[in-house]
Amino acid sequence: MEIVSTYDLERVKSFLREFDLSLDEDVDLTLVAVEDDKIIGTCSAAKNVIKGFAVSSDFQSEGVASRLLTKIQNILFDRGIYETFIFTKPENKSIFEGLGYRFVEGNSDVVLLEGGAANVERYVKDMFIKSSLGKEEKAALVMNCNPFTLGHKFLIETAAKENERVVVFIVEENKSLFPFDVRLELVKRGVKDLDNVAVLPGGKYIISSATFPSYFLRREDEKLRAYTRLDAAIFGRYIAKEFNIKRRYVGTEPYCPVTNAYNNALMDILPNFNIEVRVVERLLKDDVAVSASFVRNLIRQGRIEDTKKYVPESTYEFLISNEAKEIIEKIKRSDSPH
Amino acid sequence: MRIKKPAKAGTMESNDIYIMVYPNENGNEIQLDSIVLKQFGKQIEKVIMDTLKELEVENALVVAKDRGALDYTIKARVETAVKRAIE
Repeated sequence: MEIVSTYDLERVKSFLREFDLSLDEDVDLTLVAVEDDKIIGTCSAAKNVIKGFAVSSDFQSEGVASRLLTKIQNILFDRGIYETFIFTKPENKSIFEGLGYRFVEGNSDVVLLEGGAANVERYVKDMFIKSSLGKEEKAALVMNCNPFTLGHKFLIETAAKENERVVVFIVEENKSLFPFDVRLELVKRGVKDLDNVAVLPGGKYIISSATFPSYFLRREDEKLRAYTRLDAAIFGRYIAKEFNIKRRYVGTEPYCPVTNAYNNALMDILPNFNIEVRVVERLLKDDVAVSASFVRNLIRQGRIEDTKKYVPESTYEFLISNEAKEIIEKIKRSDSPH
Repeated sequence: MRIKKPAKAGTMESNDIYIMVYPNENGNEIQLDSIVLKQFGKQIEKVIMDTLKELEVENALVVAKDRGALDYTIKARVETAVKRAIE
């Protein structure tokens, strides 16, 4: 038996079909275990997420899985990817635990395990220390802010009025039209006047492609329910616990079905961790719910000046600056959901 | 010896151990997963720590995925990973 990387994905796909598995479009590395010219096992990786893992039943318990995993980890390691994640069905959890993967969180549909140097507890502890926040009870918001609008600001202000201390986590995954550092900076500038609000990077375990691979795709299937619930539970078990978060604020979602499903998952899951979810009615301006996608639509139509009514001054200043030109061009060309 | 860059050694096959070594800010630390954690976790950690001490390494995060390796194997894998990490 030998293990080689392959570009003949059609062959891999038909092998995976026997296991009721499909190969995601985003994989950038695929390995196959071959014996007598036949595929007997395979696994793939999309950046740091290992997926499409299967070993033919005739060869299970012969070390094919461990050799596939070793090889893919070695390749990823040499690429500088030291932390890996696996999503799998709950019934496969113990297989991967036996191969050195650690359980992070799971539900009846999907389980997330982590390998390599990934360690959620260590990571979240470190996030908390770096934040220099105290142990007092807090309220939290998780936002993408693509870009930061008066709608976001209204939501944060509401939380700031009702709580002593508020933490805003900005989604760090860089798949949005406005890059992460710009989104973070615009929120920081936009809430400067609220002195009980801290704005922090969301890190690797809040709506990242590891915890939540579907957020950045606009689809409403069963995967979505599974992943939103997974992300909510990770927030409850690790992040809220370390930061002492007792409340989470969300805005009502008029446009995006993915965000809407996410809100529902939060309301379902977070109370299990003693976290109250407060839903705040979206800010309306002339009967229009102010949202980032609404603002991006204005930008797409070239109506930058019209955004003035819907975004804080700091965001507007950015939009008319030279720095924003490239982003605006990108928005005009795309129809990305986020 | 100073750990300068991440390095690895070993495999995740049965009777072996996969060792990853990273530069660390707070001294030597071990993060161990093992199929025999309950029975031999302490012993495995001791072998890793002793090996680091022998090599005079003081800034390593060692992530170890053990699948029932014997002490000699563990020691050899740690040595190799450290050697690669100090180059």
